[in-house]
Amino acid sequence: MKVRIRRFDGQKAWWQDYEVDAKPSDTVLDILNRIREKHDHTLAFRQSCQMGSCGSCGMVINGLPALACQTRISELKTESIRLEPLYNYKVIKDLVVDLTDFVNKHRSVKPWMIRKNPQELEEAPMEFKVTPDQNLTFVQFDYCIMCGLCLAACPTVAIDPLFLGPQALAQAYRYIADPRDEGFEERIEILDDSHGVWRCHFAGACSYVCPKGVDPAKAIQYLKKEVLKYRLLHKKKASVKPAELIQKPPPANAPKPPPFDFKIEGGE
Amino acid sequence: MEKEKEEKRYKSGLLRSLRPYKFNLERYTYTLHRITGVILILYLIAHVFEIYHLALGPVAWQQTMALLSSLGIWEKIGLWIIAGSALYHGANGLRLILNEAFGMLLGKPVLPEYPYTPTSLSRNQKIAIYTIVVIVVALWIWAGIYLLWGLGII
Amino acid sequence: METLDYDVAIVGTGLAGLRTAIEVLRRDKGRLGLRVAVISKLYLMRSHSVSAEGGTSAVLYPEEGDSFELMAWDTIKGSDFLADQDAVWRFVHIATQEIRLIERWGVPWNRRADGRIEQRWFGGLSFPRATYAQDKTGFFEMRALYDTLLKYENWDRFDENFVTSIVIENNEFKGFTAIDLKTGNFRYFRAKAGVIATGGAGQLYRITSMAASSTGDGYGLAYNAGLPLKDMEFVQFHPTGLVPRGILITEAARGEGAYLINKDGERFMKKYAPSKMELAPRDIVSRAIMKEIMEGRGIYDDNSGLYHVWLDMRHLGKEKIEERLPFIREIGLKYLGIDIVDQPLPIRPTVHYNMGGIHVDIDGKVLNANGSPVKGLWAAGEAACVSIHGSNRLGSNGTNECLVYGYIVGNDVYNYIEKERPALPNPSQNILLAEEDRIFGKILGKESGGEDVYQIKDELKDTMEKYVHVYRTGSDLEKAVIKIKELKERYKYIKLSDKSRIFNYNLEHALELGFMLDIAEVIARGALLRTESRGAHARLDYPNRDDANWLKHTIALKGAEGPLFSYIPVKITMWKPVARVY
Repeated sequence: MKVRIRRFDGQKAWWQDYEVDAKPSDTVLDILNRIREKHDHTLAFRQSCQMGSCGSCGMVINGLPALACQTRISELKTESIRLEPLYNYKVIKDLVVDLTDFVNKHRSVKPWMIRKNPQELEEAPMEFKVTPDQNLTFVQFDYCIMCGLCLAACPTVAIDPLFLGPQALAQAYRYIADPRDEGFEERIEILDDSHGVWRCHFAGACSYVCPKGVDPAKAIQYLKKEVLKYRLLHKKKASVKPAELIQKPPPANAPKPPPFDFKIEGGE
Repeated sequence: MEKEKEEKRYKSGLLRSLRPYKFNLERYTYTLHRITGVILILYLIAHVFEIYHLALGPVAWQQTMALLSSLGIWEKIGLWIIAGSALYHGANGLRLILNEAFGMLLGKPVLPEYPYTPTSLSRNQKIAIYTIVVIVVALWIWAGIYLLWGLGII
Repeated sequence: METLDYDVAIVGTGLAGLRTAIEVLRRDKGRLGLRVAVISKLYLMRSHSVSAEGGTSAVLYPEEGDSFELMAWDTIKGSDFLADQDAVWRFVHIATQEIRLIERWGVPWNRRADGRIEQRWFGGLSFPRATYAQDKTGFFEMRALYDTLLKYENWDRFDENFVTSIVIENNEFKGFTAIDLKTGNFRYFRAKAGVIATGGAGQLYRITSMAASSTGDGYGLAYNAGLPLKDMEFVQFHPTGLVPRGILITEAARGEGAYLINKDGERFMKKYAPSKMELAPRDIVSRAIMKEIMEGRGIYDDNSGLYHVWLDMRHLGKEKIEERLPFIREIGLKYLGIDIVDQPLPIRPTVHYNMGGIHVDIDGKVLNANGSPVKGLWAAGEAACVSIHGSNRLGSNGTNECLVYGYIVGNDVYNYIEKERPALPNPSQNILLAEEDRIFGKILGKESGGEDVYQIKDELKDTMEKYVHVYRTGSDLEKAVIKIKELKERYKYIKLSDKSRIFNYNLEHALELGFMLDIAEVIARGALLRTESRGAHARLDYPNRDDANWLKHTIALKGAEGPLFSYIPVKITMWKPVARVY
């Protein structure tokens, strides 16, 4: 199988062709490992879990951003493969790109649980009360593995490097939609910005390439709706009712545990 | 040759941003939306310039009109493109307003099922896009006929 | 050489590393203004903890019949009585608060209709206490911890920094040396306290559920710094790894009711664990599967040339699968094109976990050869061996060990700095210069020799896969020891073809291979010496557990000619060993 890889060594960039043995059941990552081990030790690419849950091996495969570890050769339906580093990032070496901006954008939207009473997060004796239906409102957006494919696909990131990008915005919405979170107003101030939600023009490419079905485009449109409601109708809260902590059940009502089915010998 | 082309594509963020090849239908509509938007802005500037001659008196206005009609068929083709741009940009814009301000056509948050098909790019969205395309094309053809009729060709 | 000064340096950013970092910062709240360095050879959030699938055990609702005693008993019985019982007793108590804590930090646990946390069955449990978030439990836990860590200011991330050695002088921790992969520069992290949380060493084997990055660097670092490793011969084989590559199919599949079926369509577990069936602990199920395959009741897979058995989930129904095991369905579809809703999955045991690790005490302090703590050094998670898991870890006890020991170590580190107020250490420059020369002069700069890193790695994996697998024999292990010795000799003559400084993965892999060869030797030699079968260590030539001679932990120290072994007793405080029947 012919593989053409976009190489870069810090100074110059070039395309390099390799001829590799491949089975249809191989993934692109298998092919890359084979190249590195048998043909060219200098090839640089990231990898870790090899099962599509860590997000290391994002790259552009035949023109479309994808995870190398979960793209099988048979799915590609082409004679040759063309691999490039992710678009819209600074390339460091070969297929390795600089994710510093990406992680900073994510951090800038305050992607953590915020409560009016922060003590509830740290020292409460029980968990928050969240029903399975409430879980459904945000779990999809929590699937994000931070691979960065969405930013590579996004046509807006290509022309506005300051745009927060689908990943960060979707994560902001993940917390806004979470009934346990009360940081709505804090985040709205960050998101309601010309480089925030309003820079998104809904090309949907982020959702199209997302390897985990996070659907960032959906999250961003919902976010716009929330921002509009907040600004135009002066709604001070997210449309989600905050969850409450479960109270510890009174011990008197608790049933007695059944006797153990094993014999304790010696010991305390 | 092919390598040079790829080099070029590499460098330009703008070109990459407008190149929906391999991606989803919505990204094609995005590209078209941006291009028609630019056309409309250019037209608006030209139009303001045209109207401005009205303030300079009847002679200047007559001259401008004469200049425009001297373009002949090209004036009509220009108008036709502008009409098409306005139709598409308007109709697609309405769809985007439904999406962005009202959260419609997006689907509810779900537990994603493999193979992941995002609900925001699902059937409803596609239906809306195809409807827009059909309506816009029909109106655009009608506009073309109207313009040609005005020119006395039909 | 670049020197970076921090109060606490944490190597490894899986669940244990992140939890430790959070705990230090959370305790501190700017009081001492502690600065924490979080060092990873990957990016944060790429650690292999994200691949943990099934669940996390904890006693959440004792009013429903579960109890700490029951969880402790399950853990100790599962460990084949090699666990230190005082550590287990402490562990089961802290696990409960940890589950609730990370719930409030954002983990979307699966819920009951009344809003409380749902739990399910797991192998070797006597009560359904595996708390879960679909079948991506580890991933969601990592998400919550990573997000929470972002909240704090007083820490710096060092993504893609490969730690090459621990600097220890006079039994005192003085920092880590590392290579910044992005620039290729040599770095010295000077810190008052260090934590090793680097995870396991699954990459010693070819068929493994562990990530390409799980090369056991922490074990290698400690071993080469003259610190002892404990119980390394116990390597857990997860019964259900997807053929051919060993991708993990969670135990929760069996927890939800999946069957294991051999060639004859028989639920063969009834022969090996009649009461628990498929939900017996992992070592028992792995052995059962290998036995079925060895006795000719496995199915041959043409594509990979491997024998396997079936994992059947067809009777669970699509709805339950989509709600509770969506990732397993995804894996089947993605890698084999098999939909578990209407086809069984081909599975065989896959390397999953190292019960052994760096010898630590009940607070996670790293112990030296004399059994006394090294000043300023801790280890947590899979890299450490407390030992809670003894000779076999129960499914769903891995992630909570990371959380619990992250908490314990974080607190201990903070208490140490608060009480002792240590100054920044000043090691002799010779150590650092020697380390820099070893990497850039002796390994990267070497022009002679012709051995290839990847060739040696390949042969090491084949050796381990063939001779140090689920079932072991004395003669096989001897062959493995000889082969590893030969590979270690050849390793001295490796030559790197990539001489660049930026992202030189060739160099990183060479350093990892050095660690892997050391660990492989400790595992094979330790297994050869242990003439009994206990938990994950099953010898065909010594099929029985031998409490009279072997109820003790193995301690391996680096010597001039390979590892030196000694033994220490197991702490038995609650239950005396009894026969282990399921």
